[in-house]
Amino acid sequence: MLLRAAWRRAAVAVTAAPGPKPAAPTRGLRLRVGDHAPQSAVPADTTVAPEAGPVLRPLYMDVQATTPLDPRVLDAMLPYLINYYGNPHSRTHAYGWESEAAMERARQQVASLIGADPREIIFTSGATESNNIAIKGVARFYRSRKKHLITTQTEHKCVLDSCRSLEAEGFQVTYLPVQKSGIIDLKELEAAIQPDTSLVSVMTVNNEIGVKQPIAEIGQICSSRKVYFHTDAAQAVGKIPLDVNDMKIDLMSISGHKIYGPKGCVIWVYTLWNARALMGSHSPVPFFRFGIGRFTTEEEVDYTVEKCIQHVKRLREMSPLWEMVQDGIDLKSIKWTQH
Amino acid sequence: MVLTDMSVDLSTQVVDHYENPRNVGSLDKTSKNVGTGLVGAPACGDVMKLQIQVDEKGKIVDARFKTFGCGSAIASSSLATEWVKGKTVEEALTIKNTDIAKELCLPPVKLHCSMLAEDAIKAALADYKLKQEPKKGEAEKK
Repeated sequence: MLLRAAWRRAAVAVTAAPGPKPAAPTRGLRLRVGDHAPQSAVPADTTVAPEAGPVLRPLYMDVQATTPLDPRVLDAMLPYLINYYGNPHSRTHAYGWESEAAMERARQQVASLIGADPREIIFTSGATESNNIAIKGVARFYRSRKKHLITTQTEHKCVLDSCRSLEAEGFQVTYLPVQKSGIIDLKELEAAIQPDTSLVSVMTVNNEIGVKQPIAEIGQICSSRKVYFHTDAAQAVGKIPLDVNDMKIDLMSISGHKIYGPKGCVIWVYTLWNARALMGSHSPVPFFRFGIGRFTTEEEVDYTVEKCIQHVKRLREMSPLWEMVQDGIDLKSIKWTQH
Repeated sequence: MVLTDMSVDLSTQVVDHYENPRNVGSLDKTSKNVGTGLVGAPACGDVMKLQIQVDEKGKIVDARFKTFGCGSAIASSSLATEWVKGKTVEEALTIKNTDIAKELCLPPVKLHCSMLAEDAIKAALADYKLKQEPKKGEAEKK
């Protein structure tokens, strides 16, 4: 498609630029080669003309915040933005039918990603909306009989804010602390469940520290105590295996723009109102994810990792702090000169 | 691999010092002929350690540096070690941060790196001078 070709040309231009580069996989890297004279602080003319030329942008590593749109996703979306623009709910004509067919295909794809039935997928505007719907929806639905919810202190802000607004409505919320590893204590969770608990919400993978919560075990606990289990899986979907049936997840929030999809358009909430049989899963080991972004082939990942390791080692050897640590000096004890 | 300091291009000189730094390493800080300067703070993002070795005639014969910081900080301290070599202790005091900044074409946002390099030189010289006074023989850890 046109855009993919354009990106390939840009990638070629980057690799052709002067600079020490072995055959680097640069598919889709949005770099523009900068070639204008560097500014010097000492002369007075430090203003840069707006058209001074393209600038090298910093490497993007904040992948946990959001991801760039994958060209293949854009390719898949474009026809429905340009040609096949019917409303999927227009039942009476071909434009509507073809859009509906596409939407159902997307629904099926999401469902198979998480082991759910397509009828259990709902599209919303984002994981934030999904979290709000799940938490406030379940809480208010059972308001007459159950007034207690459980969540963790390390949840995403939208989850914590939803809980806070429910507290203002008269609900009671327990915010479970996490251990040093970042993972909740399952015994504390069990102890916190009361007869009037309607929902437990624990995110699958934390967006700031990357720890994986023991979702299968939490699902088992919730299912045995007849409490609904919601998980914010925005950071986990597509990255670790998930099965909503095996893990006894009742509600799950997913975020499209964390997995190279568009922002604000296609996010999914999964709802399930039945209990399922549990199959055991091993307890997840915490790990810290280092976002290296949209490098998706093994070759690209290996290359990026090698580069990172190489440069980090070099910088470490150049660092006086590392030298002091190796000599056994406690860095906290040093009085630094102010500047 | 090219680093970008935010949206500012690194000059070729800075890139050169980053890719091929001169005089990275350490001298024996317990030696009487070695002056060690440690300036900056991790919280500020730049820490420089600069060491000079001085012969009996007062001439700097060797210099080493280690820096934790951005490309401009590494380049400034690398250049500083190049410049102090061969100078006497008095001559080295005349090295100014503006000279370093001009040589490396540092943009305004990176001027503090050259200032820190000048501080590092001065700190190393001060430490060396301190060691030459027999009564106050203890090199203070800053």
